[in-house]
Amino acid sequence: MQNVDPSLPPRLQEIINLFQNLPEEEKRELLIAYSDRCRECAPKEGESFTLSDIRKDQECTDSVGVFLKVDSENRLLFRMSLGSHVQTLTRAMASILCQGLAGSTAEEVMALPSGFVPKIVGTELVRQRSQTIYYILARMKSACRQLVAEQRRTNVASSTP
Amino acid sequence: MKTYSHPEALVETTWLADHLQDPGIRIVESNEDVLLYANGHIPGAVHIDWRSDLQDQMVRDYISPEAFAALCRRSGISPETTCIFYGDKSNWWACYALWAFRLYGHCRVKILNGGRDKWIQEGRPMVREKPSYPEVPYPVPTVRHDKEIRAFYDEVLAFLKTRGPLIDVRSPGEFTGELLHMPEYPQEGALRGGHIPGAKSVPWKTAVREDGTFKSADELARIYEEGCRLSEDQEAIVYCRIGERSSHTWFVLTYLLGHKKVRNYDGSWTEWGNRVGAPIQRP
Repeated sequence: MQNVDPSLPPRLQEIINLFQNLPEEEKRELLIAYSDRCRECAPKEGESFTLSDIRKDQECTDSVGVFLKVDSENRLLFRMSLGSHVQTLTRAMASILCQGLAGSTAEEVMALPSGFVPKIVGTELVRQRSQTIYYILARMKSACRQLVAEQRRTNVASSTP
Repeated sequence: MKTYSHPEALVETTWLADHLQDPGIRIVESNEDVLLYANGHIPGAVHIDWRSDLQDQMVRDYISPEAFAALCRRSGISPETTCIFYGDKSNWWACYALWAFRLYGHCRVKILNGGRDKWIQEGRPMVREKPSYPEVPYPVPTVRHDKEIRAFYDEVLAFLKTRGPLIDVRSPGEFTGELLHMPEYPQEGALRGGHIPGAKSVPWKTAVREDGTFKSADELARIYEEGCRLSEDQEAIVYCRIGERSSHTWFVLTYLLGHKKVRNYDGSWTEWGNRVGAPIQRP
């Protein structure tokens, strides 16, 4: 039986269910398969975004870009660009979150608890120097905060006589 | 022109490509990225994980000599096998694994110059199949060489009173205390920022070129011997955050410059920056 967390978007819950009962070795294989597919969540040529946030680390990890597109119902589409030195787990998490959070609102993403991450990755892999798996979620939340702040500014400006 | 003191401790990618089938060598990949080996590795390479294979899971220390011998046996490594270490992050973890092998007295060790990135950039083959080697005998080491190449907190404390050279290989922001972790890395639990009093900041990266290969002996001598006044027979201690970046500098000083009394303080900042009463300096 799968645990369903009402705070999680259904698509993300499906992915978590997929991982949750896998033995360690198969979990690793599936993570690698997701990391292989992270190119699919890269921005496509000609695509335009409501918000882009690209940052490069000074020393260790590579650059990570978060791109957000918002539809008329405030539903989000995420794209991510990852430098070649970004860790495999981080790539896998980017791929999982781009799929799992598609169609969520910014508020839903900002409220997302991070406790689901070990359910996907497994406790064996959540350890020192692999914790950048949380970084991707933090960057997505940060992009959502920027988006909400921007929308508030725009609303205030448009309502000011 | 100065040459490396132990040029035999380095192999180039071209050499390795021609010796993949040599029975006397074992290629060992050691990475920070825990899934990178499974993602692709040099044909024939075995994986040694810095945490699950080399560290004791219950005590902050390295595995027992029995566990080390078992690790070697199942990896097809005998005392006569030359281990060629390589990995991500410009060989941080490869140097760490090499240093750990030296702790148990395995001295036939080399580093692949430029590591995993250089091998890939040159378009050399990578495979996902895990090799399997027949078990070979490896006697349980009777001595762990902590005294020679490893420093503990109390030894570092005593050493700083002698004003002996301490080299802090972390990034400048970590050295000044402005950062409690590596840039963009998660917090790794240090309560205080700064550096060990008297330590000189020489980030590990100073020793490598853009492609991750080591700088020439002349360049390294200028950095460490002229710049830090280190010399061949002088004691020195290197440290970072958990001992992997300092293993890289330890390798440079020990093998490339031939310094005989360099120790790695692997407790590093995660111990010092948390230790009650440990003196800290900030510029």
